[in-house]
Amino acid sequence: MQNPPSASIIEDLEDLYENAPCGYLSLDPRGRIFKVNKTLCHWLGYAPEQMLGKNFGDLLNVAGRMFYETHIAPLLRMQGFFNEVALDLVSQKGDRLPVIANAAERRAADGSVISTRLTLLMAADRRRYEQRLLAARDQSRSSEAAARATLKDERETSELREQFIAVLGHDLRNPLASISAGARILLRKPKDETETRVLHMMQTTVTRMSGLIDNVLDFARGRLGGGITLSRDANRPLEPVLRQVVDELSTAAPDRVIESDFRITSPVNCDRSRMGQMVSNLLGNALTHGSPEAPVKVVAATDNGMFELWVANAGEPIPQAAMANLFEPFFRGQVRASLQGLGLGLHIASEIAKAHEGTLTVTSTAEETRFTFRMPLRGADV
Amino acid sequence: MLFAHGFGCDQNMWRFVAPAFETEFKTVLFDHVGAGGSDLSAYDPAKYSTLAGYADDVIELGRELGLNGAVFVGHSVSAMIGVLASIKAPGMFSRLVLVGPSARYIDDGDYKGGFSAAQIGELLEFLEANHMGWSAQMAPAIMGNADRPELAEELTNSFCRTDPDIAKDFARVTFTSDNRVDLRKVKTPTLILQCSEDMIASSEVGEFVHRAIPGSRFVILDATGHCPNLSAPEEVISAMRSFV
Repeated sequence: MQNPPSASIIEDLEDLYENAPCGYLSLDPRGRIFKVNKTLCHWLGYAPEQMLGKNFGDLLNVAGRMFYETHIAPLLRMQGFFNEVALDLVSQKGDRLPVIANAAERRAADGSVISTRLTLLMAADRRRYEQRLLAARDQSRSSEAAARATLKDERETSELREQFIAVLGHDLRNPLASISAGARILLRKPKDETETRVLHMMQTTVTRMSGLIDNVLDFARGRLGGGITLSRDANRPLEPVLRQVVDELSTAAPDRVIESDFRITSPVNCDRSRMGQMVSNLLGNALTHGSPEAPVKVVAATDNGMFELWVANAGEPIPQAAMANLFEPFFRGQVRASLQGLGLGLHIASEIAKAHEGTLTVTSTAEETRFTFRMPLRGADV
Repeated sequence: MLFAHGFGCDQNMWRFVAPAFETEFKTVLFDHVGAGGSDLSAYDPAKYSTLAGYADDVIELGRELGLNGAVFVGHSVSAMIGVLASIKAPGMFSRLVLVGPSARYIDDGDYKGGFSAAQIGELLEFLEANHMGWSAQMAPAIMGNADRPELAEELTNSFCRTDPDIAKDFARVTFTSDNRVDLRKVKTPTLILQCSEDMIASSEVGEFVHRAIPGSRFVILDATGHCPNLSAPEEVISAMRSFV
């Protein structure tokens, strides 16, 4: 059980009013002070009789007075009270005293105002805290705006860069075609063995470079929102395209064995040059990363409503950690510096697969690393 | 009879006055953009950077309602908004009632608006710094009435709602405007209601408006403060009755 309060202590209500730990003010219906407690007089440095007859607004700074007249006084009259209004009182010496004010009207039966009672609490610390909070908000707003501006800048720069890559890739094609045509013309004339070898090497390099440019262009287009575009044709055979890619890469790597097995018995509704680009990327990858002692296999077949094409090589398996990012652009894994390309080959190959509503998957073990493309055959009429 | 509220409140400002005229007039109350139940998305900082933007809204409202020879009742800054509207759309209003008007709040040479430019600057800063306390005042005070939140909503949220950011703009427009030259162009019979002790619009300011508007009638109310429409509605009503 709680101890009852001591019977000998009686609260002195007069003293409670005068010396309460807050300021009390009473205003007549015209807004004039007719009663004020000692605490508030003490805070402001006035004698009680100096305060009587003043308007409440006279105790405020000009801005606070305007705010009070335009916002707080109407609110008080309409709802009969206001709570937690932040105001600055001005002392006799001119010092500012931040307070939080609550007020309530005392109304007669007919709704008219008898008086208005105000309670004022010191709020210097709270005001400082609020001001710091406001300053922090303003600062975070301005740093957010700065970050946004930087981001916008970066985006613009990045888009410009991608446009530059697209234009550059496009412009590189013409001089490359001239070199290729030149090499072809020279090959037609009689020449010694060294010259022939050099010319063949040039042809291979041109082919490889065209492939790289195609990848770069496709990538840039994809980034700029164009994506991979297809021109499908089910009526023309796919096999010759695949054979040509195998031949080109065999020429480029004369000491390597490429075993191919093509059994395409149904029409494949695909973009033939895109398919060639995909096989070229996969085959190029297998030749670069696969073991030089073992052959690279390319197999393509139509079976059971599906077209499947896979490229496999022997050699070190792809590390497990690298598998997840294999098809990301500019991913190069842990390869010798001399083998580094742009890292776009597999990315573009997987984009081509997606554009055909197909999949490109990979399995990699100690025996074999195999990339498999599969797409549904939807008949020649699609 | 069209009622326009001033800076700091909304159409609730007229709740004790407007009903008294409902039998003789069709009364129209509205909130300026940014106040009360107005559509905040309609706020256009450029349009509302001068009082003319607000006056255009009044004219638009009048045209929509087909007002012809109506009574315009404007409090505080809306007194000047009504002055501008009456000049721009002659015939729309046959009477202007200006409650606590001021043509310019900032002192200018011999003209005493009641405030220095520095004091108005201080007010604008005050509004900026009191953003937090201010929005808290506008927001429903649910915390104190946890058991009856609908009551708190009704009590503290239904009067004088203003959007803090728009209110800051409105304060700047209101207290930095100067419409002294416009007053002479007023052709509409005008009643000016002046409070006895109004720190926002002093008697001097009210008399200036009275002298500048040709043929205007000037009534000094016994009411004090800036909002006689709330503190002394009966006095306002009877002064208006004898004019309209």
